[in-house]
Amino acid sequence: MKKEEKVSIRRNTTTSANDVSIFKNDSIIEFKNVTKDYNHEVVALNKVSFKIKKGEFIFLVGPSGSGKSTILKLLVREELATEGNVIVNGQDVANLKEKDVPFFRRKIGFVFQDFRLLYDRTVAENIIFALMVVGATEREIKMQLANVLELVGLTGKENYYPNQLSGGEQQRVALARALATKPSVLIADEPTGNLDPKTADEIFKMLVEINNRGTTILVVTHAKDTVDKLNKRVIALSAGRVISDEKGGYAGYDY
Amino acid sequence: MTTRSYLLKEGYDNLKKNASKTFSTMLIIFLTLLIVGIFIVIFQNVNHNIKEVREQQGLQAFIKDGIKESDIEYARSEILQIEGVKSVDYISKEASYQDALNVFGDQSYFLEGLEKVNPFPASFIVRFYNIEEANAIKEKIEKIDNIYNVQFNEGTINAVIIISRIANIFLISVGSVMLIVSMFIISNTIKLAVYSNKREIYIMRYIGATNSFIRKPFIYEGIIMGVVSSLTSFMTISIAYVVLYARLPKVGTSLGIFGFIPYSQLWYQVLIILLIIGLLIGMIGSALSLRKYLKV
Repeated sequence: MKKEEKVSIRRNTTTSANDVSIFKNDSIIEFKNVTKDYNHEVVALNKVSFKIKKGEFIFLVGPSGSGKSTILKLLVREELATEGNVIVNGQDVANLKEKDVPFFRRKIGFVFQDFRLLYDRTVAENIIFALMVVGATEREIKMQLANVLELVGLTGKENYYPNQLSGGEQQRVALARALATKPSVLIADEPTGNLDPKTADEIFKMLVEINNRGTTILVVTHAKDTVDKLNKRVIALSAGRVISDEKGGYAGYDY
Repeated sequence: MTTRSYLLKEGYDNLKKNASKTFSTMLIIFLTLLIVGIFIVIFQNVNHNIKEVREQQGLQAFIKDGIKESDIEYARSEILQIEGVKSVDYISKEASYQDALNVFGDQSYFLEGLEKVNPFPASFIVRFYNIEEANAIKEKIEKIDNIYNVQFNEGTINAVIIISRIANIFLISVGSVMLIVSMFIISNTIKLAVYSNKREIYIMRYIGATNSFIRKPFIYEGIIMGVVSSLTSFMTISIAYVVLYARLPKVGTSLGIFGFIPYSQLWYQVLIILLIIGLLIGMIGSALSLRKYLKV
């Protein structure tokens, strides 16, 4: 009996999640009153709500401990919200079955501050690795490899090992790997944190270019100048709350 | 490149990354399977011999010298009428003498010159259906005319059975302990591989790898270790058996107590069992460690 109840609850919520995608199918990420606490003590997020539309370019800013990382963890369902709903691609992530999580994650590309490349593999092998993970065919691999290498400007460097490349180039490999599986959302967690300003600019240029091709982009960053310059929507967090959410530079917000 | 061959290669790469650990693991599995293989060989030989001894086992009823052929025929028909008797074979004095020559082989020179006096008696070999009835049948045969002595060799059977039991118990207990030990050692090696691939696993998770995709290279790694070890232990046992077989008494040609089976009747059993066990230890060993270490 209990099992049946559970199933029916799940079905109901799935339907409502589908409804969300039908009526608001322009939003690709939605946080509805999301609260996340750890052991009922540390409140990492406090009633956070925002919507991100398909094709948007968003900066997520705020001091350390303001909840940015928690948002990212909730987005890829590494963790679950204590309260509220996290909806990605029309799907409430809380309703995802354990076995569907990998397939859900394939729609989200991830780039990290420390690149997270495999250093015993070449550039091409790093990208192929991602494509093998999602079960691409040999033809798709060939095509996508050439595509993303060209996109990030690394054509000709496919047989280099990451250690033979500069930091900026390594981050571009990471970008290529994230994009190879054609995610609808690209999440970049301080992608330029380890790079010098000039290289950082190149990476941001590339992100804008990728965004222009239709991929939704969410960037967590401390690069104030870049945020100001690019003039995109900025969601600012502080102590687990959204304190401002508007288009513009750092939004006059300083910390 | 298919996903499977990609994952196989990943598993193989893991093996190379931890070469020394891989080698010591395979050595342990090899030793385990060697014991298992020796067990199979001994078990099969012992059972074959027990069967052979059982089949050959019968009573030998010695016939008094110098009686008429019709009396011998009569005695034979008497024995055949006893319940439980399967067959009666007559062995003439001459045949007994020849048997003795064969039995003594090289040392048969001291039988020379005995042909004329031939001290060996004629006899009946009586076989029966159930070894349990041996004593009852023996008593009945002893009462028949012209039979002066009835012997049977229960001692051989009992000895073979006892030896085989001891050997089986010893090998099964040592073998199963070794099997469990090797499973844990494999699982330990895989744990190490999982640990050294933590980065890969983390990245795979983010890219959206399914659990089976993440697990398979490690499972393949375990299987490769198991299969390679089982093949090497199979080869070792094969060579040892063939070499030893040339120097040991063979079934059917010996004194009839214990002989070894030719390897041609044995190798496929050894191979199949070792391969299956090698595969299983590899799979179960790696699955054991993965269950713990690859929780999402």
